[in-house]
Amino acid sequence: MLPAAFSLLADYTEDYAWFPDSASTFSEEVDSLYNWITGIGLFFFVIVIFALFYFAVKYRKAKGQKAESQVSHNTPLELAWSVIPSIFLVGMFIFGAKVYLDMRTVPDGSYGVGVQAFKWGWTMDYGKGTYHPELHLLLNEPTKLTMQSSDVIHSLYVPAFRAKKDVVPGRYNYMWFEPTVATPKVSDEELAAALKEVEESGGSWDQAAYDKYQFTPDGYKFYDLYCAEYCGENHSEMQTVVVVHETREDLDAWIKKYSSRGDDVSLEAYGEKLYNRRGCSSCHSIDGSQRVGPSYKDAYGSMRALANGSEVLVDENYLRESIIDPKAKIAAGYAPVMPSYKGQLSDDDIDSLIAYIKSLSEAGQ
Amino acid sequence: MSAGTTLPPGVVRDPGFPTQSENYLTNSKGVLSWIFTLDHKRIGVMYLVGVSLSFLLGGLLALALRWHLVDPDGALFSNAIYNQVFTLHGAIMVFLFIIPSIPAALGNFLVPVMLGAKDVAFPRLNLSSFYLWIFGAIFFVLALCGSGLDTGWTFYTPYSTTTDTSVIMATLGAFILGFSSIFTGLNFIVTINTMRPPGMTWFRMPLFLWATYATSIIQVLATPVLGITLLLLIAERTMQIGIFNPEFNGDPVTYQHFFWFYSHPAVYIMILPAFGIISEIISVHSHKHIFGYRFIAYSSIAIALLGFLVWGHHMFTAGMSDMTTIIFSALTFTVSIPSAIKVFNWLATMYKGSISLTTPMCYAISFIFLFTIGGLTGLHLGTLATDQHLHDTYFVVAHFHYVMVGGTLVAFLGGLFHWWPKMFGRMYNEAGGRVSAFLVFLGFNLTFLPQFVLGSRGMPRRYATYDPEFAFLHTMSTHGATLLGVGLLVALIVLLMSLINGRRAVANPWGGATLEWNCTSPPPFYNFERAPVVGDPYDFHDIEWDAENERYVTIEPERKLAPETKPVDTPAHAGGQN
Repeated sequence: MLPAAFSLLADYTEDYAWFPDSASTFSEEVDSLYNWITGIGLFFFVIVIFALFYFAVKYRKAKGQKAESQVSHNTPLELAWSVIPSIFLVGMFIFGAKVYLDMRTVPDGSYGVGVQAFKWGWTMDYGKGTYHPELHLLLNEPTKLTMQSSDVIHSLYVPAFRAKKDVVPGRYNYMWFEPTVATPKVSDEELAAALKEVEESGGSWDQAAYDKYQFTPDGYKFYDLYCAEYCGENHSEMQTVVVVHETREDLDAWIKKYSSRGDDVSLEAYGEKLYNRRGCSSCHSIDGSQRVGPSYKDAYGSMRALANGSEVLVDENYLRESIIDPKAKIAAGYAPVMPSYKGQLSDDDIDSLIAYIKSLSEAGQ
Repeated sequence: MSAGTTLPPGVVRDPGFPTQSENYLTNSKGVLSWIFTLDHKRIGVMYLVGVSLSFLLGGLLALALRWHLVDPDGALFSNAIYNQVFTLHGAIMVFLFIIPSIPAALGNFLVPVMLGAKDVAFPRLNLSSFYLWIFGAIFFVLALCGSGLDTGWTFYTPYSTTTDTSVIMATLGAFILGFSSIFTGLNFIVTINTMRPPGMTWFRMPLFLWATYATSIIQVLATPVLGITLLLLIAERTMQIGIFNPEFNGDPVTYQHFFWFYSHPAVYIMILPAFGIISEIISVHSHKHIFGYRFIAYSSIAIALLGFLVWGHHMFTAGMSDMTTIIFSALTFTVSIPSAIKVFNWLATMYKGSISLTTPMCYAISFIFLFTIGGLTGLHLGTLATDQHLHDTYFVVAHFHYVMVGGTLVAFLGGLFHWWPKMFGRMYNEAGGRVSAFLVFLGFNLTFLPQFVLGSRGMPRRYATYDPEFAFLHTMSTHGATLLGVGLLVALIVLLMSLINGRRAVANPWGGATLEWNCTSPPPFYNFERAPVVGDPYDFHDIEWDAENERYVTIEPERKLAPETKPVDTPAHAGGQN
């Protein structure tokens, strides 16, 4: 088992590590049960393998020699090796079910976060119109996730918490956990240097940057959060991070930072942030390359062919409609797979996105 | 036939060698004689070629997947192509290789011979199920490739229904293959029920037949559910009846229930025949009576029945009710006991035996090692709390490969080496065979042991790219897969070389007591002239090694005519018997 000190390395564990970080109340129980089962398994395995190789060597005989014995059964012995292992199985079942029931019983007054899963990303709903792909939690605070899917089955998996639950379209699935180890913040200098590097290379803080620096664009170390149920092309990139704040003030400050546009931020700049943060970027490119959905580049002001054969001018109204009701007008050559963002984006958010899309097109500038 | 110098007194029984016109391989010539054959042995050989080609294809895809994963960002394919390749790998291996491998290829050859019968009960049905398999296989592969299906072999809704109609075509392909499987199962059930020779009671059947019988029951009972699932999928797509699709108030988890109600028992279709093969190999090559015959026979049936009740453990994280989840966990544990019993029985069979470390025995030992790991790691997954962490990770990948590859494939290879002399009348190079067993064992462990660690550390399955911290273990696994490929290649070369320059096989090269060793190698097209004498299939008392002719023979006590002497010519009252 890993000491908590390993969490200083964020999600990066050594090659020889057997478990990921242990950072929730479940992880200790699950790991000890795992070790216990492994121990019992090893006990039987060693007996079986010893007997297997010992017999194979000891009773190896030249062809034609008769076996020393032709005993064909021994009922008490056979009953013994049927019944004794069963006792261990009952133990595993009971302990497993007990911990499982804990995992399914949410404590009253848990901190609630909404989760929207879609191809291929996550949106966490912190209430009051604050959405962000990262999952931010409070240390030692039981947290309940209420999860829904926009399209196909996904599965939310945080290895460090030993917790996983499928996100099934058409129903709400829930899970809960209590983080026990906070993820520290890196020094301001380190963060500033990393931000500068990313900016100079002209990119945004994408998956590669998370992997490279091992902290978020706000400077927090993190635990990995994976999608564990196969969901299509970019299933393996449907990852985000979990940050555990040490104090409520710190968490609230982070939520506030992302709650709205802020007075000093332009519509275009905020639109770009939303583009990265709300999952637009996983399907729509900004350089003209083709992804699951049409590219934003030079979209505004152009005529777009639709799947039903007609054409439409890409203007503010069309863009707004496509965000709120994506299946109303389907662009020719694309599948109607975009989920609706109705109720998930404020008017100001939509204005920002439209402003950003306009800025990517000659006609809009 | 002359007896060897060391043989005990008695009459030597050995059928010798078949003539050209008796040998089932040579008694008729030309392609048509194979295409229209009703001989179960030829159909078995054709199946063997078919499943081997499928395995080759699936195996090359597996190697491609492994080599893609040496680089965290993916070395060979785009994400989309990777997804199609793993779908193809899984679907081909499951539906075209593992399910038909032992029952259809080895089973077809062995069931009638082990019964001392001339053929299966319905030879024409047997041939038709082979053609159904060919047709289904082509249809299935075309459906997968034609649409670039990337749903995984499980076709989970709603992902599979949002793409296009190809999921219906693919399920239809699986359904046609299923019919082939049903026909074969039906055939074996009738054959075993009605065509046992006089004296072969149920408990004098070789254990391979028990395993085949249990498998056939599952095939006949479970496969129709796949058909029902297909019909519901079609109804869902054409009429939006709202079973699987959440857009019409359906529930995608219902699809998983239907799918696994077939596919979980199908897992036992894959492993039960392997148990049968191992029971035969361990007993014959230890030259000792199988230990706990009845427990092994009953445990096959127990697995077949319990296997129908545990499908829910594929959905432990899907959001079933807590009660359902806990009940499925309890049922899952019950199915592990019959498997454990078998392992102990095999070990007890080896105890105080006279073990020959032949190639089949090496594979059988390898099987016990690998299957024990596969079985024990199932406990982590059956336990609810640990499963929440390990579900859908590489731990699961490693677990089922230990059971399906370390179990079924290794048993299939062991069985192939065991019955190869019988099937083709040629002995292979023993040293080469043992080397292949060793390489397969080594390569397999190197491939899949690291995956247990990967899964415990939280690496999800079906990932085309992954976090850099997993790279070391992935690379190890890839090199293991290459070694495994080399081992399998060696096995193939050893077997093929035997056809070219192998020594002619005697009727009983290993010293087996079951009926197939009582006819020539290869068997004549009619198997047995008349139903043979049936005794205990694991009684090795009368089987002796004939060193001079390098063969095992059955020694029968010299039979005397009674009365021994000729009666006197003149009756006593006439003055005889002086």
